[in-house]
Amino acid sequence: MPLSDMQKPDEPSTEHRVTHHDGTTRTVYVTQREIAYPEGRLIISRTDLDGVLTHANDAFVELSGYTREELIGQPHAILRHPDMPKAAFKDLWDTVGAGKKWHGYVKNLRKDGAHYWVYATAVPNIRGGKTVGYTSVRRKPSRRKIEELSAVYKEWLAVERSQA
Amino acid sequence: MTFNLLIAPDFAPERFAGWHMLNTVLQKKSGLALHLITPASAAEQAQLIADGKVDAVYANPFDAASMVRDNGYQAVARPLGKSDEMVIATAAGSPLNTVEDLRPGCRIALTDNKDVKLIGLRLLEPADLTEADVQWQMVDTYQAAARMAIKGEVDASFFLAEAFHSLSRLTTAQLKPLIESKLADITHVLLTHPRMAAEAARLRDALLGLAGTPEGQPVLDELGIKGGFEAMNEEDAEFMIDLMDTLLD
Repeated sequence: MPLSDMQKPDEPSTEHRVTHHDGTTRTVYVTQREIAYPEGRLIISRTDLDGVLTHANDAFVELSGYTREELIGQPHAILRHPDMPKAAFKDLWDTVGAGKKWHGYVKNLRKDGAHYWVYATAVPNIRGGKTVGYTSVRRKPSRRKIEELSAVYKEWLAVERSQA
Repeated sequence: MTFNLLIAPDFAPERFAGWHMLNTVLQKKSGLALHLITPASAAEQAQLIADGKVDAVYANPFDAASMVRDNGYQAVARPLGKSDEMVIATAAGSPLNTVEDLRPGCRIALTDNKDVKLIGLRLLEPADLTEADVQWQMVDTYQAAARMAIKGEVDASFFLAEAFHSLSRLTTAQLKPLIESKLADITHVLLTHPRMAAEAARLRDALLGLAGTPEGQPVLDELGIKGGFEAMNEEDAEFMIDLMDTLLD
């Protein structure tokens, strides 16, 4: 089921149309507000093979701004921020799809249009030799890495837009 | 037949009597003959496992991964509301206030506890510190780690959170936590080897039946596991192992 469009936040925001890796699109609203990563915590989620959320821990729910009920059953791309290039997610899906571990820095979008940065690790859940889903665990990234990756993603986005 | 029950060597010393009390009450409740093994080090534990001498083990989450996936152990139960957390602390008067204040070349004291080190390394990432950026000072006890931080011989020390919180008031007053983990989903687990598969349910039921009982609750209190234990199935264990896997690098 494709994601429904985001509700426009009360604070000033910009409107974007994002395209997910499965080709579906969604209108999102983005503010400039960054939410600090919660100290000492891990943000944990699990998805099925199609990237649909099956589990979200309390930190995931709290930081996303959604309720657990709003998250479970939705595509993981509900967190997709328009500043994230498609190539980053293609790399993620290609890597875990091949049964390998993926690491990356991700700017996530909250329900209210604000964002938070994470250092994410995704692993395939292999049971009886078969991949049955994926687990993603996020940790607090360093400020230096956030700045470094912001610049990289800007470049990748510019390339993607020029090719569109 | 007597089964060997091994307790991972990372519990606080004052819990020692509690584990023996647990072994006694578990035998009584399950009708199983259990022999308690408390190895002094992670290396001794690994050797006992490799020698096939361990039928049941209260394992730390880091070791549980290989015991389940490589040695065929099965998860039976885990403590309720008692996750494995750690603290990074510096001297109370230190100019450092957050993990991000630590710099490459900093000195950190730690004990031989792989979980604490692993989680600690992840908590150092926001400071852009890797294992190679730190001058590690291995110590035998958390008290020694505390003393080194207090004296300024290291910039910070790693503690199992439970050990940190059980330091004397005088000691903790001279320390300043830079961060305490709140991972919640990572706990010790009770695993059984397939050779005691037929008895695993009896052991689990005995463990789960301790909370709130006149003979069980005092033991749980002694172990600092006031909420008792909850059953754990194969998928619960696999989920935690996947989680641990994400923390390895």
